[in-house]
Amino acid sequence: MTQEKKPEKRRTATEAAAKIGPMQKANIQGVAQAKAEGKKVAYAFIACAYDEIIRAMDIVPMWTEAYAGICGAKRDAQRFLERAGAENFSRSLCTYALCGLGFDAWREELGEMPPDAPWGGQVKPDVMLGSGQLLCDPRNKWYQAAQHYMPDVPVYDVGLPWPPYEDDYDYREVQDYYVKYIVEELKGLVQFLEKHTGSKMDWARLSELVDLTDRTWNLIWETYELRRAVPSPMGTGDAMNTMVPIVFMMATQQAYDFFKELNEELKRKIANKEGEIPDEKYRLIWGGGLPAWFALTDFNYFNSKGAVFPVETTYRVVEAIYNFDIDLSKITDPLEHIAWRWVKFWTYWYDKARKRPGSHPSVERLIQYIEDYKIDGIVMHEAFSCRSWHVGLIWQLNLLKKVYKDIPSLILESDIVDISSYNEADTRARIDAFIDTLEAVKSR
Amino acid sequence: MKSQYFAGVDLGSTMTKVVIMNQAILASVIGPTGPEHRKLANKVMEQALAKAKLSFVDITYVVATGYGRINVPFADKQITEISCHARGVACLLPEARTVIDIGGQDSKGIKLKEGRAVDFVMNDKCAAGTGRFLEVTAEGLGVKLEDMGRLSLQAKNKVEIGSTCTVFAAQEVVAKLAEGVPLTDIIAGLHEAIAARIYSMVGRLKIEKEVALTGGGAKNIGLVKALEAKLGFPVLLPPEPLLTGAIGAALLGKDIVREAEEKGIPLVRRERRLTEATLFT
Repeated sequence: MTQEKKPEKRRTATEAAAKIGPMQKANIQGVAQAKAEGKKVAYAFIACAYDEIIRAMDIVPMWTEAYAGICGAKRDAQRFLERAGAENFSRSLCTYALCGLGFDAWREELGEMPPDAPWGGQVKPDVMLGSGQLLCDPRNKWYQAAQHYMPDVPVYDVGLPWPPYEDDYDYREVQDYYVKYIVEELKGLVQFLEKHTGSKMDWARLSELVDLTDRTWNLIWETYELRRAVPSPMGTGDAMNTMVPIVFMMATQQAYDFFKELNEELKRKIANKEGEIPDEKYRLIWGGGLPAWFALTDFNYFNSKGAVFPVETTYRVVEAIYNFDIDLSKITDPLEHIAWRWVKFWTYWYDKARKRPGSHPSVERLIQYIEDYKIDGIVMHEAFSCRSWHVGLIWQLNLLKKVYKDIPSLILESDIVDISSYNEADTRARIDAFIDTLEAVKSR
Repeated sequence: MKSQYFAGVDLGSTMTKVVIMNQAILASVIGPTGPEHRKLANKVMEQALAKAKLSFVDITYVVATGYGRINVPFADKQITEISCHARGVACLLPEARTVIDIGGQDSKGIKLKEGRAVDFVMNDKCAAGTGRFLEVTAEGLGVKLEDMGRLSLQAKNKVEIGSTCTVFAAQEVVAKLAEGVPLTDIIAGLHEAIAARIYSMVGRLKIEKEVALTGGGAKNIGLVKALEAKLGFPVLLPPEPLLTGAIGAALLGKDIVREAEEKGIPLVRRERRLTEATLFT
């Protein structure tokens, strides 16, 4: 077993973020408990729009990306990565997938959880719900590969496309087709789940959860918008905690209540002019890339240099429902409602991009945040094993500088899970140099 | 008024550089940084002081930079190599807008505006874009590192090096030698490979003319020519490319002292005692 240095605990700025660790631990352990009680468990991926569906059917999600991230954060992923390597999976694959596959292979070989599995381990599922969408190709293949070790566990691969961006046409011309397609895919998912789990869809409950999700999206958006304040009361380091209720607990009252509490805490901090750090000098945006889960203390290092992150694009996978150009409350069919929300979320920045020649929705989002949150510099993280979210980051950065303005930028390089890709001294040397450039630009 | 002297110490991964200056450079010393030498920046400083005919108490301010800047216990301030290279180049080659620094362990691109670094990129992950690549492959070929650049220019038909990893590239060149490929063609291929990687990295910045080349890589004529071919125009070279960071460090020290004097801010300085780093003992 690879011995990795026990991670230093990241200091949180908010009381709410400090509660996330125990909450997530309870989530993971809760899956094992639910399984023991006879509930059906589904391997699931984040941002797949099926949160309400599985919860309405009383199926318990085991978020496999979350579990790999936890192994990474606890610096206990290498043994699972090595296991996947021994199974001849390429090291250049997504390390979330490698960690999960290594874990599954080991658990199935042992017939029990691998020794000292973080937080009790990743429970064997009853079904696996793949979904790559247009976002992430490993998520189409991961669970198929996992079937090598669990041939008795069926996979449903749900396709959730959205209209691609083109600057010379209005996506609304084709949006109805996408919605119809997604609705059919979701209907197929419901049928699959009913067949393979024996659970029946509770359509009234699904409608309630759809409404709860809309309200939670609005609340999250409003809460994160509070971070515009100077000094900013909460940074991206904390947001890497508060992503838990966003992506792993959506469609639960607990997620809503968490953000209600965070909202109140941030308002209180703003009223007291209490920032993430006492002396805020540089305001940064985490402009792309998943974090290095084993190195979240780097956010504290930024803080020690006077830098804060009032905003990030990563895991901010919600918009205010009331800002969409359609009234979702009028769409009463819950599957159709989910489909429209999906399409409207992914096309949210299209109109803005079309107004600026040569721009792109992903860049417009950055520009808007840079303006709204009074940002001095942009930081991105290139995780070598994540093609999906990380291909194009440099392109985005270059386009931003071309269509908007030259803004100091820093690209960090490592991985989401594989700690062998990380060098703390080099990373911090880069951060030091970046702070120098921020200072040079500010003092010009 | 008593003369003021400023020292810049650039503790790189391969070489330690010290510059002492007032209005001009009074002395400079370049010494090796090895596992043992790393804690001996004080010795290099002593040599520089002897050359300048000064004692350490005469030095007004000391700035340390480079990979090992934290190992310079007698420095008044540590400043990143990005800022120091930018300041050094801005002084030596004021027309430069982009700096490419090729060091023994990393390489970097720096964008300059009004003499200061406003953006940068670094490669500290992979030896293939650094001086280490040529060191390792030179050893494999049995060629002195300092001869590599000159030999590369004698190539008639440079070969393509397929391996992106330094270790595998070293094996590949030995295999090519065994195949009978002329040494000069292999060496030219190695220079082409390292230039391609550096050009690709620096391309993340919008490369603006003029481009200054610094660091040990700038002393390799083969690499200079290979990079110029990629860029499509000639680069600028400082008189001694290894000293840019140390000169920048000394100049930044001078800036700090001037600003403190102008604003009446007390200057925080360490006791003037030359000690070796204790991190390694």
